[in-house]
Amino acid sequence: MNLNPSNPTQPAAKAGRYLTFTLGEESYGLPVLKVREIIRLCPITSVPRMPPHVKGVINLRGTVIPVFDLRGKFQLATTNYGERTCIIVVQVASPSGGSTLMGAIVDAVEEVVQLTDAELEATPDFGGAPDTQYILGLSTINGGVKTLLNIEKIFLEDGCVSLNAMSKQNDSIQPE
Amino acid sequence: MHTGSPSKTVPILSKMAEIMGHVGEELAFVAPDEDAGLLPLNRFVMDLEELVDGDLPHSVYAGVKLARGWLDQILDGSGRFTEESIRNFNVWHAWMTSALLSLENATPMPTWPRAWTENSGPAPETPSNEAISLKLPEEATFLSEFHSESLELLQSVEQGVLVLEENPSDIPTINSIFRAFHTFKGGAGFLQLEAVRNLAHELESLLDAVRRSELLITSEIIELILSGADALGYFTREMGIQLQGKNSGTPILVPTRGIIDRVRSILRGEPSGAPAHNAEPTSRGSRASLSDSPKPSREPPTSTATDSSSGFVKLDTTKLDSLVDLVGELVIAQSMVIQNPDVQKITSLQLVRCLRQLSRITTELQRNAMSLRMVPIRKLFHKMTRLVRDLAAQQEKQVQLVLEGEDTELDRNIVEKLGDPLVHMIRNAVDHGLEDPAVRAANGKAERGTIRLAAAHQRGGIVIRVQDDGGGLDRERILAKAVSRGLVNADTNLSDSEIFSMIFQPGFSTAENVTDLSGRGVGMDVARQNIESLRGKIEIQSHPGEGTTFTILLPLTLAIIDGLLVGVGGDRYIIPTLSVRESFRPSPGMVTTIHGRGEVVSVRGKQTPLLRLGHYLGATGEAINPEDGIIVVVESGDSAPGLLVDQLLGKQEVVIKSLGSAFEKQSLMAGGAVLGDGWVGLILDVDTLVRMPYQPQAVTPAASVATL
Repeated sequence: MNLNPSNPTQPAAKAGRYLTFTLGEESYGLPVLKVREIIRLCPITSVPRMPPHVKGVINLRGTVIPVFDLRGKFQLATTNYGERTCIIVVQVASPSGGSTLMGAIVDAVEEVVQLTDAELEATPDFGGAPDTQYILGLSTINGGVKTLLNIEKIFLEDGCVSLNAMSKQNDSIQPE
Repeated sequence: MHTGSPSKTVPILSKMAEIMGHVGEELAFVAPDEDAGLLPLNRFVMDLEELVDGDLPHSVYAGVKLARGWLDQILDGSGRFTEESIRNFNVWHAWMTSALLSLENATPMPTWPRAWTENSGPAPETPSNEAISLKLPEEATFLSEFHSESLELLQSVEQGVLVLEENPSDIPTINSIFRAFHTFKGGAGFLQLEAVRNLAHELESLLDAVRRSELLITSEIIELILSGADALGYFTREMGIQLQGKNSGTPILVPTRGIIDRVRSILRGEPSGAPAHNAEPTSRGSRASLSDSPKPSREPPTSTATDSSSGFVKLDTTKLDSLVDLVGELVIAQSMVIQNPDVQKITSLQLVRCLRQLSRITTELQRNAMSLRMVPIRKLFHKMTRLVRDLAAQQEKQVQLVLEGEDTELDRNIVEKLGDPLVHMIRNAVDHGLEDPAVRAANGKAERGTIRLAAAHQRGGIVIRVQDDGGGLDRERILAKAVSRGLVNADTNLSDSEIFSMIFQPGFSTAENVTDLSGRGVGMDVARQNIESLRGKIEIQSHPGEGTTFTILLPLTLAIIDGLLVGVGGDRYIIPTLSVRESFRPSPGMVTTIHGRGEVVSVRGKQTPLLRLGHYLGATGEAINPEDGIIVVVESGDSAPGLLVDQLLGKQEVVIKSLGSAFEKQSLMAGGAVLGDGWVGLILDVDTLVRMPYQPQAVTPAASVATL
């Protein structure tokens, strides 16, 4: 095993099937069990006074669900949404009990891959430069590195955005 | 009959008969005022107690218990027999002997001696039945409400016990059983059904001890809970039969005493007297033996007659909610079809007719689905009748409660949550609102105060008024209190309604003496919060010497609102119509700026602050000149500012959808709604909006481009 000894509490990604997708040149993955469906980009109603990466809400067959822009979340350069842009709808446990649906906007969905323990690596310690708290681990397959995301953590944090904290959030998230 | 297998009971019966023979010999020698034979008799009864078990009919068990009671009384008291006790023991001996004999020969049991059931024996507590007479028909309404409530509670106890059998330490279940008994106790106490109230009270204490980890759940305790629930259930079913007009007037005998004794002995840490599964006549497996127990005249309870709540179906409210949601979707889907440009191009008369038919059906369906959740407010109002009666008695005031509009229907979710605030307001009215009879008479009023509780439809919602003809709110005292609490400055010029609304501040009470009535429960602040969480409002009017009126405005349902669809900077928002006072396009000169930033608009001669909705929403409204937009005057508490929006897009009913946990922390948006074109529209929470700090931009065109 390749666990980073300096960070033993970091939960390593578990072997299993991952859905991989791209944000720009980078490739990411998230546990396929969390994924409910993948839909094409649809009209998004923006919710005012929210961080820029919280794009708003959509109507998913009668249910209103929030959508987030993962590029915005990771402070990657924003691009216009293209032909392959889509929304990955994931089911996450809600803090108030039960589960809730949320959508993540990604550049393109790649494939579903089966990752074994041997193919998983713990998150390297960057000394804080890229924030690694949302990362489950890394995996090198087909010559490329995939960053495996803790999607629940990403969404639940945004679930805690309060109006008062807004202005601060805005400043810190705004790309220079 | 009972289910005991003969092979098991026969040896017990013959042993008991043998002991009864010895008892007969001893009884021949006892005399009044002497103790001879007392100890042998005691030993024989102890032997009998060891022998009786659950396979024997209850009456045998009760018989042994009866003798135990008498003996204990003698042993605890004078230690000598009396004429009466000797007579009792002789009757008892004869009855027991013939009962045992008839059991052995499987012939009918002898009749239970009448004297024993009428509590006239030397041991008044021993007969394990307590009689309850229902006050029919005077209290039929309360009783039938208590009846249906109790059935639910007892069912939840039974379900809870099943869980406890699997997992004895399941705290939520223990709590829920505790609460069920507690609620039952409350209801029974309310209706003065002493015997069942006492039983429920004991069971509650038992559960409380378990809850506080003073006791561990054992099979004996589980059995005891079940026996208790069964006894209460038996009473409830009998009550149901009587409510249907059968046997009414007959006292209902409830076997509570034995259970209460056992609970007490467990709470004292002693092993309970009886074998765990023998318990009381209504305990499981031996319920049928009721027919041969003390009062054979009583009909055995028939569950079919009582469980049928005449044509009603109970169902999970989440199913109901999802039905209502789906119907809402259907309505939207239908309007999407009708508004589809391709469909509109078709000029077939038949299609038009079909679509019209479809609209009719969906509208009807929607109305029906909505009405499923509507219940009349009557039940809630009637609870208040009782409350007022009790409060008036305690306060020694004369109060009459006048109910109006009890048939007004509203969403059951609202009715449920309305209970607490209403109870509080009624309490307040009786406690603080109405004066003492003497004071009233001195002021030239009728000694009897009147509280009027009225419900009515108004403005697409429901209005509930709690009106008393008491002394009215004391403006000066409220103001003094507010000043002393630092809520306002003494020299601030406040309107009456501003002062009155101070009583909604947390911990604000001007009552000179906090009584046990108004010291408890929810305060007025909680009452207001409850009502606001139902998207309602509460207003106060009060005139010194004439009384106080609380007006509660509520939406008809929580699922649908009537909304005004407005456009701001290319986005659409929904403002609940309940909050909208009026809307108009301002003409030039109506809007004035103050310090170049703040704006006011003259509405019916009154200068009203003008808030640009776009500023709140981080969007720039297109209507930079107010004359290009529309002003929507909204109401929130006492303030009624005008909101400037770009355009008015329409008025429609929308099905409210939660925005989900991601937006839980923000309260600016009350929810979302799927609009006719499939987009999501956001519903504004006007109360939050109005309370948010407004930072007006300079209203010159150049500056207003800057976003928030």
